[in-house]
Amino acid sequence: MPGRPSDPDSAIVPFSPMAEDVPLFPVRHGLKPPIFRVFVSWSRGSHLQVACVCPRDESLEEKADGDLGDEDVGGKVLEVKLGTSDANINEAKRRWIAYGSVPPFALLQGRRNSLAAMSRISSSSTFIDWWKHVLEYSQSISELLGNTRLQSTAVIEDPKLVLERVGEPTSLKAAWQLIEIFYVDRHSFSGLAESVVDWLAEFDCLLSEKDTTVSSKLVKLQEQLVNLQVIEDDPEYWEGISSALSVGWLEVVVKLLRLHGSYQLNQLDSRETENGLVEAVAVLVSTMPCLHHDFPAGKLGQYYRTKPDFVKAWEKWRGQISKLDCSAFWVQCGHRQTREGLRNLLQIMLGNINNISAAVFHWIELLVPHLLFIRPLTAGFEEFQGLAQKCMQIKFNNTPNGLVRLFIGILGENTEVVLAECSKSFGPWMVTHCLELLTADNNQNKIFLHEERYNLGGISILELHRLVYAQVLASHPLTSQIAPTYLVSCPKQGLGLLEILLCRQPVQHHQIILKNLEICRLYELDGISSCIKKIAGIYHWKHGRKGAGIYWLQEARDEATLNHIAHHLFESIGRTISDESFKQWEGLIELLGPDVGSAGGLGFLHTYRDFKKSLKLVESGRTSDVARQAIEALIQLLKSPSTPQRFWFPLLHDSLKLLNWRERPLLNVSETNLLLNKLQELSMAKLRPDFCSTELQPNVLSSVRLALARNLSRAFLEE
Amino acid sequence: MAGSGGLQYYRLPQYKSVDVVRWLRPLSAFDRFIAAAVHNPDVVSSAAIEIFSLNPKPNTENPDHDKLLNLRSSWPSPSRITSLRTSESSRKHLVVALSTFAGSVYFLYVDPVDASIDLELSVDEERPLHSGPVSAVDIQAGGYECVTVGEDGRVNLVSVCQATLESRVLHDSRGLVSYTAAKWGSQEEFATGGLGFGLQWWDRRKAGGLVSQFKGNWAQGSMTGLVHSIDIYPSRNHICVVGGSSGMVLAWDRRWQQQPIFLSGGGLTGTGQATSESDVWEVQYDIGTQTSGINSAPTSKIFPVMMCSEDGILAVVEQGEAPIELLAEDCAINSFDINPQHPSEVVCGIEWESIGILMRQRESLSLLTET
Repeated sequence: MPGRPSDPDSAIVPFSPMAEDVPLFPVRHGLKPPIFRVFVSWSRGSHLQVACVCPRDESLEEKADGDLGDEDVGGKVLEVKLGTSDANINEAKRRWIAYGSVPPFALLQGRRNSLAAMSRISSSSTFIDWWKHVLEYSQSISELLGNTRLQSTAVIEDPKLVLERVGEPTSLKAAWQLIEIFYVDRHSFSGLAESVVDWLAEFDCLLSEKDTTVSSKLVKLQEQLVNLQVIEDDPEYWEGISSALSVGWLEVVVKLLRLHGSYQLNQLDSRETENGLVEAVAVLVSTMPCLHHDFPAGKLGQYYRTKPDFVKAWEKWRGQISKLDCSAFWVQCGHRQTREGLRNLLQIMLGNINNISAAVFHWIELLVPHLLFIRPLTAGFEEFQGLAQKCMQIKFNNTPNGLVRLFIGILGENTEVVLAECSKSFGPWMVTHCLELLTADNNQNKIFLHEERYNLGGISILELHRLVYAQVLASHPLTSQIAPTYLVSCPKQGLGLLEILLCRQPVQHHQIILKNLEICRLYELDGISSCIKKIAGIYHWKHGRKGAGIYWLQEARDEATLNHIAHHLFESIGRTISDESFKQWEGLIELLGPDVGSAGGLGFLHTYRDFKKSLKLVESGRTSDVARQAIEALIQLLKSPSTPQRFWFPLLHDSLKLLNWRERPLLNVSETNLLLNKLQELSMAKLRPDFCSTELQPNVLSSVRLALARNLSRAFLEE
Repeated sequence: MAGSGGLQYYRLPQYKSVDVVRWLRPLSAFDRFIAAAVHNPDVVSSAAIEIFSLNPKPNTENPDHDKLLNLRSSWPSPSRITSLRTSESSRKHLVVALSTFAGSVYFLYVDPVDASIDLELSVDEERPLHSGPVSAVDIQAGGYECVTVGEDGRVNLVSVCQATLESRVLHDSRGLVSYTAAKWGSQEEFATGGLGFGLQWWDRRKAGGLVSQFKGNWAQGSMTGLVHSIDIYPSRNHICVVGGSSGMVLAWDRRWQQQPIFLSGGGLTGTGQATSESDVWEVQYDIGTQTSGINSAPTSKIFPVMMCSEDGILAVVEQGEAPIELLAEDCAINSFDINPQHPSEVVCGIEWESIGILMRQRESLSLLTET
């Protein structure tokens, strides 16, 4: 990447300041300009390695030899971390989410596979209840993302604490729930409207970082409450109440209303009417009818499961509001702010769009009062879409954040936009996991996401995102163990990538090797398993752990490498053939075990050990039986093709005593002939130019030959 | 995260890899101390020993997970920790012996009251005990001496000597044999394990040290045969319990060396019931749950053994009995330890960066002893 510095002060690579769409991230290298070259390469995971090289300054070199301080370094290598920037969730938390989402994901995939198998047998419509499984999956993931529900179960309630939160709601969870509401949940018991209202209650504070929202307004009010003497004189108080009422936070409204000055005992007498009006509104607020599938505990409002019941209650409630609105008591209420504030609240409850619009700040906040007060029976998605369009026109926000953009994408029914927003704002984890929700009950999406695409190399969008996520997981040593779960759910390229990943895992620690072998076992990747074992074997061998190296190679049944290794080993044994230090090989030979087949050329060691053992016993004066055993081992050694030629002569030399056995000839005719042939072969080999042996002394050779000849004659006689 | 059937289980996220967990024996019966070897691959030199105190009586209605474990002290390790053992010393300290990837061994002296780390001893850091990682370390009951074994084939004895650690090479196979597990059997004897389900019995009073060997015929099948963990009950140290690859839990009675007794796995012979088919990372005798009968049982009886495995199983296996599964995690359980003072409590090191605390209640304990 040879870029010429266009502006030595700031930029290394020229760029046009007009191109605003290109995101620019400064890399602080701390080097004195000019920079001569920049090299960029991928490092571990999503890290980029950026090497900045300074030009060779000849004057500097002339100047001093040992005077090069820190400022005069020739360059610098920096590691730049790329990635999504959800500041609320750090890497460790992200890993925790990644771990926790494996079991629900695996469960869902398992269910899909078993359902697919079932439908192949009996082509009945088993997919009818599929969304129920997805909902279960979605709820377990949602639980994992943190419990952020509003809670007010403190033992001693702080009367001035109107807004209480447990935990910090995250955009990730907000986005997840939003997708759940629109793609999975909308066909279940709870209606779209009530879900969106509940969603906003939980995540309103995430709608915008800079602009005012209802919750940021209430937080500000909360701070002021402590200092305010006459609360009802403050317009902020009334604004806060109307905002909270608009988005349906009945508890907050009632709590704030009860802070009204007229409740104070010393003022109760003088402001009786006023207090009555405040209380009347508070009661109306707390008895607001809601259409909801369950009755949430500790919440104000009257809940109805069925539409007719709700409509009846709703009409009655509105009648009460209208009656209060027309009441004569307002005239008697002396406090202007209270009067106006309360009547504003009544207007909001009656669904007056102007009052509502003044009380909220964001178009989603405007959408909710529509669902609460204006058209509480909104059910269909189209109707909802139309409402949202209207709200967006009234309360337009210039810079929607990722969450709001996602909401817009969902309303636009554009899966591509939804995926792009998820990917942009919430990263590959979100995309991979929310794909299950997008395809839960939407055939159009299913086709769109499962379709194999030529421009993606023949894989579907679904698989592409899973592959991307699996690579993110595999790039971190702690999460690489869970990447296979996602890879095996990729039908086209998953297993191939898994094989590549497994072969490239580090082998320094045998625990990691074994964990990877376990993955191979689970997914029946026998070839990769032996590949890992081979790599491990070579690694250990190279690092001087001969036993471990041979062990792994033997496990891998890699005869070629074992034979190669055997030759190395023989060299070190060959020098010490009659040495005591052969003893240290005992452990290794034990490891090779009696099953020499898988040990390749190393089988030699085992027989050789037996031969040495019995030879030693012979020397310590044992019987012919032991001598016979030694001869058997000798014959076995010389018959075996794995015994290297250079061992033949030392073996024969070592067994000279056996050949000259006094009591009777130990070798029969054919055995003697075999040994003689071997000896002949050796003598012939001596003539070849590539033969080299210093141990083949002529006198020893002739004595061996003589002993063999003598044995042959005795054997003849015996037979 | 409480479980059912008389078991209470809490999984506590640590946000870093938990490699080994061990209980410490505090002075007070009301304290619970846990030592954990942790590391975070994202941060350079982040390996450490962390000592936690456990609140043994958490509010079961609303267990506040952050309050269950409190970090008391921490000791940064120069290299990732491979093995960890604890003991109490006669000088009223708790001793933690640990070994590292870089081949070193450290002793930490922990205050038994407030769990602070008072003193740290190490062998000469210029000359590591092992070339390459130390596979296993085991400390003697007194806390004065430990044995270390490594893949490089060395067997070292490390002892405390006037505020330093002195080491002696008992055996060096120069890489021809690798050792992967070690456990003391008495003051003078210990067992080591290695490749191919090989077990060695050592006596340091003897020249060379090696007394006897036990080999498993591992090469016959296609399964790997590494020994990961050994446990020996002091009063009957002729039996070694071994956990290893391929779900193998077996017992080796040194008086009858021909055949091992399979407690779990051992698919080749088919004698044992397989609790798991993946690696058994750790085994420990689960004797604490037996209220009586330890001394009266015949000497060939093998006590129940607790094991943890790569596929997330924590179970108790016993000869001739069906295994009792205590936990089935979604990921590997890499390490566990039974509290020696309160055997109903088990701590687990879980692959997904967390520590698991399992409390078996009295009812379940009596159930265990009845079966």
